[in-house]
Amino acid sequence: MKGGLVVFLLLICFSANTQELLKSPDSLAVLIRSMPAEDTATINLRNQYVKQALFANPADSSLMEFTQQTLDTAEKIGYQKGVLHAYERLALISQYSFSNPYKALDYYHKALSVAENNPGLITYKWGIKGGIATIYYEQEEFHNALRSFKEIIRRNKNLELTATANIANVYGAVENIDSAIYFYRKALQHPQTEENPTFKANLYSNLSLMYGKSENAELAVSCAEKSLALINTHGIEFVRPTAYANTSMAYLKAGDLTKAEFYGRESLKLSELQGNLFLQKSAWGTLADVYAAKNDFQNALQAHIRYSALKDSLNNQNRRVAINRKQMEFDFEKERTLTQAEIARQVLIKKATLLIGIGLLIISVLAFIFYKRRRDMLEQKKEAEFNALVSDTELKALRAQMNPHFFFNSLNSIGDYIAKNDNQSAQDYLIKFAKLMRAVLENSEFREIPLAEELKFIELYLQVETKRLPGKFSYKINVEDGLETENILVPPLLLQPFIENSIWHGFKEKENRGNIVIDFKRKDHMLLCSVDDDGQGGKNQTTGTGKKSLGIVITENRIQILNKQKNASGKLQIMQKLNNTGTRVEVSLPLQTAF
Amino acid sequence: MITAAIIDDEQQSTDRILTLLAPYTDKIKTVCFNTAEKAVQGIDALHPDIVFLDVHLHDKTGFDVLEAITYLDFSLIFVTAYEQYAIKAFKFSAIDYLLKPIESDDFRNALQKAIEKVKQNQLGERIRVLLSNLSAENTNKKISIPSKEGYSFLNISDITRCDADVNYTHIFTANGIKYTVSKPLKHFEGLLTGHGFFRIHNSHLINLNYVKSYAKSGIVTLSDNTKMVVSVRKREAFVKACESL
Repeated sequence: MKGGLVVFLLLICFSANTQELLKSPDSLAVLIRSMPAEDTATINLRNQYVKQALFANPADSSLMEFTQQTLDTAEKIGYQKGVLHAYERLALISQYSFSNPYKALDYYHKALSVAENNPGLITYKWGIKGGIATIYYEQEEFHNALRSFKEIIRRNKNLELTATANIANVYGAVENIDSAIYFYRKALQHPQTEENPTFKANLYSNLSLMYGKSENAELAVSCAEKSLALINTHGIEFVRPTAYANTSMAYLKAGDLTKAEFYGRESLKLSELQGNLFLQKSAWGTLADVYAAKNDFQNALQAHIRYSALKDSLNNQNRRVAINRKQMEFDFEKERTLTQAEIARQVLIKKATLLIGIGLLIISVLAFIFYKRRRDMLEQKKEAEFNALVSDTELKALRAQMNPHFFFNSLNSIGDYIAKNDNQSAQDYLIKFAKLMRAVLENSEFREIPLAEELKFIELYLQVETKRLPGKFSYKINVEDGLETENILVPPLLLQPFIENSIWHGFKEKENRGNIVIDFKRKDHMLLCSVDDDGQGGKNQTTGTGKKSLGIVITENRIQILNKQKNASGKLQIMQKLNNTGTRVEVSLPLQTAF
Repeated sequence: MITAAIIDDEQQSTDRILTLLAPYTDKIKTVCFNTAEKAVQGIDALHPDIVFLDVHLHDKTGFDVLEAITYLDFSLIFVTAYEQYAIKAFKFSAIDYLLKPIESDDFRNALQKAIEKVKQNQLGERIRVLLSNLSAENTNKKISIPSKEGYSFLNISDITRCDADVNYTHIFTANGIKYTVSKPLKHFEGLLTGHGFFRIHNSHLINLNYVKSYAKSGIVTLSDNTKMVVSVRKREAFVKACESL
């Protein structure tokens, strides 16, 4: 049996919306023209129009272009649902109007990728899969088709009816007639069937074919007639050629060859009109059977030749291979796209990780630098504080060292004085010395004292020494005009050792009266102090004996410490005048003021 | 006839004062005590006009004597060797003192002042200032401000600032009164540093408790809205002092 045709039960979710169904393609076309071109509603309507127009007139080749326009518009405005449906329509048109399963498969895959890339459209996936499954079926890849349809039933209740019907189709195609009948009947009992005369007509038509195959001619004719009645009532032109082919088969089985031939020829005529090669093939197959039954062998042969030619052209192995290749290509392409997306994602992750890593590294480095700087600063500060402490201690130690040195010298001079003079003078001397001691004690408490205090001290000291050595020397203290003696700060008892040296060593062996000139003046940011005498103290001051006096060493150290603390360049210079005619000591200090 | 009491535990010290008083024997008669207890009894009994009081009296001090006596109408001259804390307290309370060894010129001046002001006003109050300054408690310490009329006693915490005016110092209090003293600002700096005062400038000593705000530009504003410049050199130390307050 070459004839008979199972109508593909399109896996489109037929809308239950009666209003929509009631609208004729023509009225929809009018409505579409009245609407703005680039609008989602317009695109929905256009897609709906194509669906209905396709069923109404599968041969309408203009639908392809129309749908392509819909697709372009939907893509332009980024309306993904519209894009998806447009692809679906294009697939249907390719499959049924142009008998081009490659193209159909192509469009289905495009639709599928849209559905998979848009979470909101994922529900349409199964409809598209169904479309692809019908192509498997059409290409006699029954195993795949059956698997797909069963999966669809499991995954999507909405598509249960169409999937059930298509399972029946597949069983029919693999000549598992009982199963086919079972599934067709199941589909007919499905509540959605009543709402959809097209579907119902299809089901009856197909069931008729199955009954025919199971040699149940009576039921076959009955079903075929039910189908035709529905087609006529509802004007379901889409199903008509197939239904005619099946009806022809049913009558052939029932032995009504006239009717069989009539429907066969009608089917052929309609399918030629539609340009549907599958239908033509089927119609020729049916006619071949009819002519054979009528013993019109010439026509039967002709029909068979046509049938075989069509079958070969439609269904040859090459084509199957091509489809498989196409499928593989799609799978590969899909995989490649996915892989590329994954690669892109990985690259992005890599880049992001790298960026974050670099960022963290920079932050860490910066943090470390800041931390190090801060630590170094703190360390430096600590060190400076420590140094200051050390220096301070040193200063105190130096003062402690200097004071007894000075005191014992002074006590010696008191003893000297007492031995030589009367008690009243000793008393006066003692009081001066007590004052001097008090001044030393008080001033020693401070690191710096006002110059005025130092001057008072020097004066007091010189008074004491003058008393001790009356007539031996005279002194003069010069303070530069405008020097703020109250405000300028100096280390206490700084010059005392040099004055002491002048008096004790410079004048000891001197015949005539010695002179000491003490000078304070300012030069830029330095305070210049000098002790100038005309004694013969050269050999005792410094280089003469090669050994520095204790006072000089101490003063040098004090100036050094002061330099360190104030970051200054104070210095001590001791100069011997020619022919041992005197010594000049110069001390330069950083000029410090209290305010 | 003026009675002078000499209170010292060392005979040599007493003798020294007696020697220094020798030229005045026609005007001054002397009485000597070598312990704190005897001194208290003697002063209360004899009501001397001038008292030479040593700070160090064995295991007691001259301050113990002052705390114990009831008679307070005399000129007080402390005698001390090197009690720096006591010297500061004398300055606070404007009480005269002599340093050992006593210089005859100093002695003459002090004695002259004592004789002129035999009936010194407010000795009791000044002794209270003295003792309060010597006590460990840091509450409400006072300072005696000498003037022509006598003495003013100010709470240290009431003084907002001291301004230098050559050898005079103007002292300002929180209630807006200005006192002028014939002592240099340095004198008050020595006394008040350590009592929340800070010398921000050559001529300004301020009480840090009255600082209202301080601008980075170096201008400090006191609670009475007086604005003063802090010397550049003093700014760092000033901020530190304010923080540690």
